[in-house]
Amino acid sequence: MAVCIAVIAKENYPLYIRSVPTENELKFHYTVHTSLDVVDEKISAMGKAMVDQRELYLGLLYPTEDYKVYGYVTNSKVKFVMVVDSSNTALRDNEIRSMFRKLHNSYTDIMCNPFYNPGDRIHSRAFDNMVNSMMMQVC
Amino acid sequence: MSRQAGRGTESKKMNSELFTLTYGALVTQLCKDYENDEDVNKQLDKMGYNIGVRLIEDFLARSNVGRCHDFRETADVIAKIAFKMYLGITPSITNWSPGGDEFSLILENNPLVDFVELPDNHSSLIYSNLLCGVLRGALEMVQMAVDVKFVQDTLKGDSVTEIRMKFIRRIEDNLPAGEE
Repeated sequence: MAVCIAVIAKENYPLYIRSVPTENELKFHYTVHTSLDVVDEKISAMGKAMVDQRELYLGLLYPTEDYKVYGYVTNSKVKFVMVVDSSNTALRDNEIRSMFRKLHNSYTDIMCNPFYNPGDRIHSRAFDNMVNSMMMQVC
Repeated sequence: MSRQAGRGTESKKMNSELFTLTYGALVTQLCKDYENDEDVNKQLDKMGYNIGVRLIEDFLARSNVGRCHDFRETADVIAKIAFKMYLGITPSITNWSPGGDEFSLILENNPLVDFVELPDNHSSLIYSNLLCGVLRGALEMVQMAVDVKFVQDTLKGDSVTEIRMKFIRRIEDNLPAGEE
């Protein structure tokens, strides 16, 4: 389904990044990195008044030739970025939304793990499994 | 606290995340304070023991259970009343030894470990060891010396959590004067 999933901290450094074709890892890192500008743009475009009631899901950030990049920002400014193959047209907005919600829940569980220090890179089997399941579904 | 409003076996509601995180903070702090996991286990057991010797008074006052006639009855009270009252779960009792002096409590889900994943460098940590101490301390106050330990733990990849309890002896000399 997704080819790359990343969790970005409030200060814009990666907490977790994982992509399926591992040989192209750097390209995905680059894609995710670029998308952060769009995320910032989208948030600031919404203006101060809207911030309180805005939706966490940002929708499609930008499409490239082969991929579509989607974004999601929690109220604590942690960003989730998901890169999806654009040949996969079956994927609807709603499904992306629910995938992000799953990711968010899983992230919350990690934050609640007393052995995890907030701000560290995420090394968690449960999170790995969840991300794997989201990547496996179609690929 | 609504202590005066009458004690009963019904438990007050408490947010489970706060409870789990509080225990998690306690254990991780111990891990920072002590170099090796064995010491942390020992410390958890000791803290549990101190909780147990106090908690038993509260338990007896609230539950109105009488003296147990054998160890099986004790096991029932622990699983069905005590665990229900304080942790909101009812573990099952299995694996009785032929002599009837040893049994296992099987916890399907342990509320203490809800979000926990043990890091690799703490492989010998017994995360919920506090429970062992509580059981040991509480039973010691009712003249029973028991040995309590974890034999399975979901944190270590087992499918259930199993606490093994072994009856050692009755503590006779602690009997207050005037009782049998």
